[in-house]
Amino acid sequence: MRKWLAGLAALGMAAVGILPAQAAEPDSPKVIRVGATQAMDSMNPFLAVRLVSSSIHRWMYGFLTVPDSKTLQPSPDLAESWTTSPDGLTWTFKIRQAKWSDGQPVTAEDAAWTFTKMMTDDGAKTANGPAVENFASVTANGQELTIKLKAPQASMLDNPVPIMPKHVWEKVGDIAKYDADDYPAVTSGPYIAVEHKKDQYVKLKANPDYWRGRPKIDELQMIFYDNPAAAVVGLKKGDIDLIGRLAPPDFEALKGTDTIVQWNTEGRRSTYLQINHGATTSDNKPIGDGHPALKDPRVRQALHTAIDKQKLVDEVQNGLARPADGSIVPPMYKDFFWEATGAEKVSFDLAKANKILDDAGYKKGADGIRAMPDGSRKLQFRFSIHTDTPIEDKLAEYLTGWFKELGITLTTKRLDSSKFTEETGTTALFDIAISGWSVNPDPEEVLATHLCSRRPTASGEGGGTESFYCDPQFEQLYAQQQKELDRGKRAEVIKKMEQRLYTDAPVIALYYPNNLEGYRSDRIASVTSIPEDKGMLYGGSGYWPFYTLEAVSTNGESDEGSNTGVIVGVVAAVVVLAAAGLFVARRKRGVADERE
Amino acid sequence: MTVTQSAVDAIEERPARHGLARYAAAKAGGALLSIAMVIVATFFAFRLLPGDPVRALAQGRNMTPEQLDLERARLGLDKSLPEQFVHFVGQTLRFDLGVSYEYKRPVLDLIGERIGSTLLLTGTALVMAVSLGVWQGARAGWKPGSRFDRFSTAISLVLWSVPTFWLGLLLLMVFAAGVGPIPGIFPTRGIESVDAPDGFGYVLDVAKHMVLPCLTMVAVVYAQYLLVMRSSVLDEVGQDYVTTARAKGLRDDEVRRKHAVPNALLPTVTLVFMRIGFVVGGAVTVEAIFSWPGLGQLFYEAIRVPDFTLMQGTFLLITVSVILMNTLADVVYHVLDPRVRSA
Repeated sequence: MRKWLAGLAALGMAAVGILPAQAAEPDSPKVIRVGATQAMDSMNPFLAVRLVSSSIHRWMYGFLTVPDSKTLQPSPDLAESWTTSPDGLTWTFKIRQAKWSDGQPVTAEDAAWTFTKMMTDDGAKTANGPAVENFASVTANGQELTIKLKAPQASMLDNPVPIMPKHVWEKVGDIAKYDADDYPAVTSGPYIAVEHKKDQYVKLKANPDYWRGRPKIDELQMIFYDNPAAAVVGLKKGDIDLIGRLAPPDFEALKGTDTIVQWNTEGRRSTYLQINHGATTSDNKPIGDGHPALKDPRVRQALHTAIDKQKLVDEVQNGLARPADGSIVPPMYKDFFWEATGAEKVSFDLAKANKILDDAGYKKGADGIRAMPDGSRKLQFRFSIHTDTPIEDKLAEYLTGWFKELGITLTTKRLDSSKFTEETGTTALFDIAISGWSVNPDPEEVLATHLCSRRPTASGEGGGTESFYCDPQFEQLYAQQQKELDRGKRAEVIKKMEQRLYTDAPVIALYYPNNLEGYRSDRIASVTSIPEDKGMLYGGSGYWPFYTLEAVSTNGESDEGSNTGVIVGVVAAVVVLAAAGLFVARRKRGVADERE
Repeated sequence: MTVTQSAVDAIEERPARHGLARYAAAKAGGALLSIAMVIVATFFAFRLLPGDPVRALAQGRNMTPEQLDLERARLGLDKSLPEQFVHFVGQTLRFDLGVSYEYKRPVLDLIGERIGSTLLLTGTALVMAVSLGVWQGARAGWKPGSRFDRFSTAISLVLWSVPTFWLGLLLLMVFAAGVGPIPGIFPTRGIESVDAPDGFGYVLDVAKHMVLPCLTMVAVVYAQYLLVMRSSVLDEVGQDYVTTARAKGLRDDEVRRKHAVPNALLPTVTLVFMRIGFVVGGAVTVEAIFSWPGLGQLFYEAIRVPDFTLMQGTFLLITVSVILMNTLADVVYHVLDPRVRSA
């Protein structure tokens, strides 16, 4: 018994002794920990589709180009320069002299292999298939990479494909089944992944041979949380040093901590309503059960006029957004952002909205609800939102209130995400639905969701449409910007597309949510955002923030850490001793009982 | 326990051994039938769910019809329903749960990676909840209306009705973040620190990570054992054998521990086995709050996507283990309680 107790005591002492010892290493490397509320789906860049995965791949691999940290325009990355043929169909990139992290040189062969793999192997299309859809051929000659296109494509320089090392990846049998979990990974970007524990963390070490120079920190850790509230606690406590993509309540929970910087900037998202204004399939046959009144642009205009966007920003987004007086490209992208002014600008005005409907012949019935001019149907719309998104529920309440003032009934329809995608993107079984996109520095893709070709076929195939839009004017503008290689002129065309979306209103932009992040100033000395002038940290494209990060001190653990160790040790020792005491007491009584 | 066992031995007649074998065989047969039904039901239930899995996989990205077709073929969704069914049953009987849509890896591998951490968490929590619940329930039931009883019943009713996620978050806020004088000493997430030391230090690190999730689970689950134990001890209190034992002049404490409690434990046995079945499923909520990399978290992810094969696989695993544990509970009960046998 005594021996056993001694063992326990030793255990308690060890707990006290060991924990602080591990916390206070003098020359620990500079480590920055980033929290994410989404875990990696795959370390294989050909397969990974989640945002967190593409961020980590951005830090690991080189791309042809990277958005400039000041202007967000494409700037050299692995491609140090490029030329375009006059017809815009042939692009030639000069690949810079750089090294893979295993010492091999980076050549145009690597890039050619990467793109060709995606063009020829369907498994490799999973993540970025559309990026090479317009490629006719890709060839390499030393450091020169030539891409021939099927049709002109101005967004060519915003290519989202990481360049992979051919000499490593060509040995992979089936790309679609390859998990890419051999560490350290062979990469050419600022960081090398050295360890990955599924759903737990990814550890990245600075690449000493990175062509721009070694990052200033030694190690970057990405730590995954299932639960945003726990991540916020983790930041306050110092378990992590930075976290992005916060919801307004989580962001506000960071208030009042001196060492935490609340990073509140313009975001890359827009939140908008998509309206079923007479959905058709790609062969122009009507589909779905959208309300006929929504085909009338005047009704859509009236709805737009009845939305108090400022109020939505204040009450639904806790003030952490900007009301949308433009279309779906957020103001963060200054070059491409278009804003309505003058008579074109739609402002909140219930009387005016009512008048629009009165003039258009939608009369109010005895119950105060408007009906179609021919009296065939009441103006009762469904509003499709996602289940379990309190913010959309709240939004629905406000819209229902305003539309009621117009004599329009709005009922909320909650759908899980796959059903939602199906009804709003394929079967068109909706009237009005919530939507939102994260927009890339080149907005072409988000605008393309309004093309005729994005409508599904009669059998429900294909697609990727927003509100089944198909408009000749918009199509013509889209084709025009694709051919326009002059950035300024192209931006003008893109703005016209946004203007068309604003006035025709197949979608109604509500607001542009801010990008909400937080980091510890006692751990991060400096960080460059994208764009540099008050831009984004974690959520932005490119690797700038994580390449430029500077840590505060050499000590990986704060003083609190060693206290923690002591406290845990003491608690453990107390528990162990108490248990031992209890055990002894009970044993004694047990013996006494036996004697009776 | 020893008293019951000897009592059982005394009553037991020879042929009962055969009786047990036959009983166990019948129960096993029933279990197999249930499992077969679960396999069938799983197949259809997951096909009745709304939503197109391929489209869900695309996550809003633009995919060409060719790409969608290819994905469908890859997932076997291009085949007719009967064909899919035969394929599914054949696969399942070979313990092949298919390939996850999202992770693109065999579901069995994904489950294998996580089952250990789930068993560690839920197993520990179960042992703690049972010991605490049984001990406290027995004491409370022995002296109904006492201060201890009133206190225990009140606590267990409160904990039983508290939502798990709320309690978990509360513990997280208080003991991980620290409030006022309470320092935040426990980790906010996961099963281990990123820079966890090796050896004994690692064990301590994992133990530290287990405290809060385990506490949450114990708090929510143990009330059930307490209440069941309390009521079955209450049943025993008035029994003749208890009076007899007391009349023999045994100490009250001893009558409780050696006579009443072993008999009162029977209903708890069933409850424990049923729980073990659920242990495999983990605690979806607890794992989600504390980012515990277990099966519950995997299931939660699968629902969110939705990843049908993964959902199907985890669902099958959970239901089958519940069935098996129920069967085992029946058999064990049969061994422990002669009354069930004669009935």
